Amino acid sequence: MRYDHEDIPESAQLDLRGRRALVVVPAYNEEDAVAGVIRDLRRHAPWADVLIVNDGSADETSMRARRAGVTVIDLPVNLGIGGAVQTGFQYAYAHGYDMAFQFDGDGQHRARRLADLAAPLLAGEADLVVGSRFLRPRGMTARGLRLVGIKMLCSAISAVVGQRVTDPTSGFRGAGRRAIELFAQEYPQDYPEPESLVLMWRQGLRVREVPATIRRRRRGVSSIGAMTGIHYMSRVLLAVLMDAVKAPVRLEGEVA
Amino acid sequence: MIWTQTIVLLLLGALLLGLTLELIRKRRLREEYAVLWVCTGLMILVFAIMPGAILSAAEWLHLDRGVLMTFLCFVFLAAIVLHYSVVLSRQAGREKALSQELALMKDEIDRLRGEIREAPPPAPEAKPKPPALRT
Repeated sequence: MRYDHEDIPESAQLDLRGRRALVVVPAYNEEDAVAGVIRDLRRHAPWADVLIVNDGSADETSMRARRAGVTVIDLPVNLGIGGAVQTGFQYAYAHGYDMAFQFDGDGQHRARRLADLAAPLLAGEADLVVGSRFLRPRGMTARGLRLVGIKMLCSAISAVVGQRVTDPTSGFRGAGRRAIELFAQEYPQDYPEPESLVLMWRQGLRVREVPATIRRRRRGVSSIGAMTGIHYMSRVLLAVLMDAVKAPVRLEGEVA
Repeated sequence: MIWTQTIVLLLLGALLLGLTLELIRKRRLREEYAVLWVCTGLMILVFAIMPGAILSAAEWLHLDRGVLMTFLCFVFLAAIVLHYSVVLSRQAGREKALSQELALMKDEIDRLRGEIREAPPPAPEAKPKPPALRT
């Protein structure tokens, strides 16, 4: 933990009331962005530990993250975003964290805004808090076909879970203890962000959206970008409908 | 006509059985899957020896023999492909779990290594004596 304490602004402090928080950063070939992301987290969310999950990168992601002084988990093969994020939840569960946040390794999320996600968790009002770009549209939002796709996906997921969902593809989220336990054991692989909302509903856990803005991505491309509009949406819809009929997961600790 | 069919089927069945046994012998096929192919080979042999069976089945179902055979082949292949899809899904899940477990353990090892390096060397007299064996 080498960093300048003088560098941290007063406003970045957050009273966790004795609870421990972990920020999980999935990173796949993010050697240019990863150090900046860690710096942002250190400066604007010093109350949380940082875990980089290197998803089988072929570049220097792992080395640069280690040099920045954070814990790095190196996956031996590329598992995709779902598998990488789940590894972070497994780490959080094994090390007894009370909150685990998902934070993109490409620099599009703002560490300053993590406190917004933490508040409902600390108050015990939700098991999963999702930062939504569309609750109060500011900064970057979606356009064109992408927007149409997201709108339709919103309607479908809202109908399934019986709760208004405005940004199901948001990867800026925070999980409480019960969600950490669930995700450590069962986490969707194909389209983890929207699918996990259905999983939460299936397990009877509470999801809450809070407004969030994201930056225009500095580098890299969206994992969604290549598969635009109708194709992406129909694949996600199918996955979501399949999730809706899956049997609920029995957690290891529960009595049959 | 019926004899050529019997001979072709006999050869086919024998070939499949032989190939399966050879693959098992070379450890390139797990018994789990070998059972499937041995059964398939035996079925072909049954059809070869009793060509009447398929004819009477076709008559009973009021189907043309060719149609029935095509249908059976399709069902057989579809069942195998479905079975493999299930196996592949299971393998993907296991592979993921193994990768995650491995990555987490690597981190744990690094942490323990660091702790060992930082820990002071143990005092020599602190070494516990093995308890005397009582018989």
